[in-house]
Amino acid sequence: MKSKLKDFPVNHYIDIALLIFLIFFPLFVKTFRVEMMSRYLCFAIFALSLDLLWGYTGLLSLGHAVLFGMGGYMIGICYQIQNGLPAFMTREGLTQIPWFYIPLKNPIAAAAIGILIPALFAMLLGFFMFSSKIKGVFFTIITLALAQIFSEFIINVQKYTNGFNGLQGVKRFAINGGEQLGKVQYYYIVLAIAVLVFIFCLWLSRSRIGKIATSIRENEARLGFFGYQSSHYKILIYTISGALAGLAGVLYTPATSSITTQDIGVAASTAVVVWIAVGGRGNLTGAVFGALFINWAQSLLSEHFSSYWQLILGGVLLAIIFFIPNGIIGQIIELQRRRTVEGVKIKEQSNANKGAGLWRQIFSR
Amino acid sequence: MLTFISQIINGLNQSAVLLIATLGLLIIFGLMNVINMAHGEMIMVGAFVTYIATSILNIPFLIALVLSFVVTALFGALTEVTIIKKLYSKPTETILATYALSIILKEIARIIWPLSQNVNMPFPGTISLGGVIVPRYNIFVVIMAILLLTFTIIFFRFTKFGKKIGAITQNRQMTECLGIKTSTIDTLTFAYGAGLAGIAGCILAPTTGVSYDMGSTYLTDSFMTVVVGGVQSLIGAAFSSTIIGEGRTVLAGVSNDTWAKIMIFLAVIILIRFKPEGLFAKERR
Repeated sequence: MKSKLKDFPVNHYIDIALLIFLIFFPLFVKTFRVEMMSRYLCFAIFALSLDLLWGYTGLLSLGHAVLFGMGGYMIGICYQIQNGLPAFMTREGLTQIPWFYIPLKNPIAAAAIGILIPALFAMLLGFFMFSSKIKGVFFTIITLALAQIFSEFIINVQKYTNGFNGLQGVKRFAINGGEQLGKVQYYYIVLAIAVLVFIFCLWLSRSRIGKIATSIRENEARLGFFGYQSSHYKILIYTISGALAGLAGVLYTPATSSITTQDIGVAASTAVVVWIAVGGRGNLTGAVFGALFINWAQSLLSEHFSSYWQLILGGVLLAIIFFIPNGIIGQIIELQRRRTVEGVKIKEQSNANKGAGLWRQIFSR
Repeated sequence: MLTFISQIINGLNQSAVLLIATLGLLIIFGLMNVINMAHGEMIMVGAFVTYIATSILNIPFLIALVLSFVVTALFGALTEVTIIKKLYSKPTETILATYALSIILKEIARIIWPLSQNVNMPFPGTISLGGVIVPRYNIFVVIMAILLLTFTIIFFRFTKFGKKIGAITQNRQMTECLGIKTSTIDTLTFAYGAGLAGIAGCILAPTTGVSYDMGSTYLTDSFMTVVVGGVQSLIGAAFSSTIIGEGRTVLAGVSNDTWAKIMIFLAVIILIRFKPEGLFAKERR
C-alpha cells in the first residue's frame, strides 16, 4: 500500500490539494478576493488551452489571447445590445443593431457563439498553416503577427466594438433581464467548469489523440512514417484549444464585467506563455498552478511594483529558462521520478551484492 | 494618377525601411537558424544610440549611423555569448529567452524614456521627381537599403569570413573539423546581424521618432518578409520587402493602414499554404 502511494504521481497530489483549497477558498476571504480568484480561474482555463497546444503538441502560439478575446467580446457585445442601441454605436452613426449582432442577444447563445467562433477561426488558420509543411517557428511568428493585427483591428472597427475603450458593464449571466448571479455563486460555477475542463484535458492527453500530439512534439517525421497525417491532428488540437480559449474568454468577461483591447493583444498572449513556462509545460497541473501563482503574485506585488511588473515578468521568464526549464511543477515531477528510479536501482544493487552495496550506493549518487 | 505615382514612391521608401530591418533578421534567422524575438528591440537600441548621439551629444548623423552599428553589434555579441550560445539546438527555449530579453529591453527603455523622442532630420528639404515631391531623406533611405544589400551580398559571397559562415550553415561539424572556430564565427555573425538591426533603427529614428515600442511592429514585419522571400535568400528578401512595402502603401491609400496590414497578413497566410518555402527559396534540403 505504501509503495502504491509513493507511485501515485506527485502532481495529482497537488491537483487535489489545489481543488480542496479552491473549494473552501470563499469561506475565508472577502468577496473581492473571491471575484479575483474567479478571474484567475478563467486564466487557468486559458492556460490549459494553450498547454494542450504548446506543452503537448509543441506548437507555441504567441497570439492565443486573440482566441480568448473572441470569446470575451461575444459576451461583451451581448450585454451592450440588451437595451437597444448602445451609446457608442449611436455616436458612430449606426441607426440599428447590425444584423450579425442579433443572435448575440441571448447570453446563452452568445456564450455558445463565443466558443464556436474561436474554434472555427483556429480551424481555418490551422488548415492554412499546418496543411503545408511549415516549421513550428513560423506558426509562432504568424500567431504573434495575428495578435498585433487583431487588437489593431478591434480598435479600428470602433463602430462595432467601441475601439480602444472596450466594452463595460457586462453582467454575470443575467438571463432575460433577470438578476445577475452573485459573485460567490459565479465563482463556484467557474470553478466547476474549470474542473470539467481539467478532466477533459486530462482525458484528452491520455487518449490516442493526446499520445499522437505528444509524438508530434517529439518526432513529427517518424509519426509520418507510421502513416499518421500529423497535420490533421495539429488542426484538431488547435481547434479544441481555440474552443477552450474562447470558453475562458466567455467566462472571464462577466467576471471582470469588462473586456478591452488590453486583454486580447500581444501582452496578454505573452502573459499566458509566461504562466505556463513558470508552472511547467506539458503537464496540466503546471498550467493551472502557473496561472494562479503568477496572477496572485502580480496582484499582491503590483501595489509596490506596478510599473516594473513587465520587467519582473521578463526577468522571471529568463531565469526559469536557464535554471528550471521544466517549470516549477515540472521540476517537482522530475525530482520524484528521479527519486523513485534511484530507489529502485539502489534496492536492486543491494540485493545483488550485499557486501559492496554500501560503496555502490555512495558512488551511484 | 499623380497620387498613385506618389504612393508608389512612398511605398519604395517603406520597402527600403523594411529591407534594412529584415537584413539583420535574415542573417540571424536564415543563416544561424536562431529565432531572435528581440530583433525589434535591437532596432530600438540602434535608434536610441542615434538619439543620444545626435540630440544629446550633437554628433553628426553619419557618424551616429556608424556608432549605432557598432554599439548594437557589441550588444548582439554580448547577447550571443550570454544567452543564445547556451540554447543552440533548443528552438523553443531560444524563442522564449529572446522574447524575455525583448520584454526586459523594452521595459528598461520605457522606464528611462516613457515618451517618444525626436531626432532631427539629417537631410531636410524635398526635391521634385516628375511632379511628385519627395523628401530628400527618403532618397537617402532607398540608397542606404541598396548599399547595405549589395555590401551584405558581397560580404557573404566573396570574403573569407562570409564563406566560413556559409560553410557552417551547410555542415557545422565538418567545418569544425577543418579547424575553423565555429563558436567565434557564430558570435561575429550574430553581432553583424544585430548591427544591421542597429542601422535600421538609426535610419528609422528621424522619420518615426524614437520610442520604446518602435521595434515590436518591425519584428513581425521583418519575419513576414523573410517568410515571403525565402529563409536564406537575400535577393528574395529584397523582392518580398518591395512587394510587402508597396502593397501595404497602395492598399493603405485605398482603405486605411489597419486594413492594409490585415490584407497583407491574409495574403501571407495563403502564400504559406501553397508555397511554404517562400517565393525565392533555394532548393530544399
